[in-house]
Amino acid sequence: MSGRSESDRLKQETRLQRLVRRPEIGTFVVMVIIIVALAFFSSGKAYNALGLKNNIAIIAQYGIIATGAALLMISGEFDLSIGSMIGFAGMSMAMMLKWGLPFGLGEATPITAFIFTMAMTLALGWLIGTIVVRSGLSSFIVTLAFLFFLRGATEVAYRYINKSTQISGLPDYKQNSWFAEMMGGEVFGWFYDVWFMLGGNLNRRGEQWVTGFDARFLWWIIIAAAAYFILSRTRIGNWIFATGDNKESARANGVPVNAVKVGLFMFTAFCATMFAACQVFDTNTSDAAKGNLMELYAIAIAVVGGTLMTGGFGSVLGVAFGAVTVGLVANAVFFIPQIDGSWFRVFLGGILLAAVFANERIRKRITGGI
Amino acid sequence: MADQPFLRCEKLVKRFGPFTALGGVDLDVYSGEVHALLGDNGAGKSTLIKTLAGVHAPTEGQIYIEGAPVTFRTPRDASNAGIGTVYQDLAVNPLMSVTRNFFMGRELTNSFGVLNMKQMDEITHDEMLKIGIDISDPSQAVGTMSGGQRQTLAIARAIHFGAKVLILDEPTSALGQKQQMEVLKTMMRVRARGDIAIIFITHNEIHSKLVADRMTFLALGQVIGSGTKAELEGEDIRRLMAGGAEMADLEQELAAI
Repeated sequence: MSGRSESDRLKQETRLQRLVRRPEIGTFVVMVIIIVALAFFSSGKAYNALGLKNNIAIIAQYGIIATGAALLMISGEFDLSIGSMIGFAGMSMAMMLKWGLPFGLGEATPITAFIFTMAMTLALGWLIGTIVVRSGLSSFIVTLAFLFFLRGATEVAYRYINKSTQISGLPDYKQNSWFAEMMGGEVFGWFYDVWFMLGGNLNRRGEQWVTGFDARFLWWIIIAAAAYFILSRTRIGNWIFATGDNKESARANGVPVNAVKVGLFMFTAFCATMFAACQVFDTNTSDAAKGNLMELYAIAIAVVGGTLMTGGFGSVLGVAFGAVTVGLVANAVFFIPQIDGSWFRVFLGGILLAAVFANERIRKRITGGI
Repeated sequence: MADQPFLRCEKLVKRFGPFTALGGVDLDVYSGEVHALLGDNGAGKSTLIKTLAGVHAPTEGQIYIEGAPVTFRTPRDASNAGIGTVYQDLAVNPLMSVTRNFFMGRELTNSFGVLNMKQMDEITHDEMLKIGIDISDPSQAVGTMSGGQRQTLAIARAIHFGAKVLILDEPTSALGQKQQMEVLKTMMRVRARGDIAIIFITHNEIHSKLVADRMTFLALGQVIGSGTKAELEGEDIRRLMAGGAEMADLEQELAAI
């Protein structure tokens, strides 16, 4: 009793112990295993110049939407409309580029098509968020409604205006528009230049093979870095955690709970629109099925990355590791032709379940076993 | 005795439709004193503190702070006027760190909205230490703290953000014996500062006798007795606790079963 206080019962940990107990560590280990295993089974093909580019492309796609989904989940809500929002945003941009801006505003440029679309999707995100916080209904059901609503509206709009649910043969805007180049062009060309100078990155004729990563790689880095910074270092980040952990106590302490949630629904809409913009300007095509099931991948990756289903806890870094893991496995079939592509979903289901158990353990540890 | 009560309620009435929750309650609370508010379930204690905390507006009657009439439209009004309420659930978030809880909703930031984590850690540590708990690691999650420590966190937070009246809603219920004593000690340390009035809501007669300078008993929305500890005798307290019923009656009733 003498001289001992409650605080002495919390053991001081060494730096290594702290590192091992970080919530991202499980995802990190799985990611390393997958990276090594893929290198081994594809005989290195997965990481040759083109393999790396293709892997990063899908990882960045997953990473962009999973970051949005994770922040929203930390605040205690879900968004099942992400996939349909991707389809809607892609349709909106492609259709404006092909048929002109709405309200007779004339020809669209990549940048005006993007701005009009972003304004619409942000407004939809605001609407979804406002319905959720005002009605008090579960975001699961509200966003499920928007999953159907937006997908249906996308298809209807395609058939009504375009007479077909896909648009192809748009001109390659990247040639003339810096904005289209920024969304769908290439980045980090120096990486492949250096690789070429070092004697790698050669095609069959001995010329430089790959010239750069997809632009979405850079967007993923920007979005994830911003999300990491906001979540861990700013007042808004504290509000996001507080909102998801215990909404009532957050509100009692003056946290604008509703504004936080509405803002994050707008952020997932933003991420979906960036996903769609990168896709449209990369391929110069669009169709009504784009983004299908992406909301579920986004949520799965967020959970694999250590985000708690119940809110209040999560890590952007863990989500990035999760995106790498899931992206590599999704692409594995292209590098290891003898395996059946559907193993990807078997794997995803397996690590999702494992992650849920691991996250629950983390939550119990933090809350002292309650 | 202080010359003027810091907080004064006059004939406070609160009706919810046809139901009268408070039927004209008078209450004087002095700085540097613990004022125990006692009463059975349904006596109107919760309604009274919610009215003081700005959650409910009184139907009739007036609240005065330092003699000046005040009207609270929102909890924020009450909090700005120096009324800090520590509810039973404490309004803490178990998954967040001590510091992040301490500054929840009132974070210290630079002009870009970036948190001054180091400064916040220091203030949290110092403020907790002032009322008796030495938190070795302000980045530990609140979920790892004991109930008494959480109570201390909520109290320290209210004081740091300018509470002159601290309303503690049953702070000792749901705690073990030792932790109850920790909370009572914390209350006495706050009382010793002399500039803060404490309203201590409790069911526990022993606790109220241990720390209270003044007591007010509520039953069915009305004050059935109040005074300083010296004015109220032990038997009297027990009778008032039971809402005015004679304990002797109850003893007979029990014996008759």
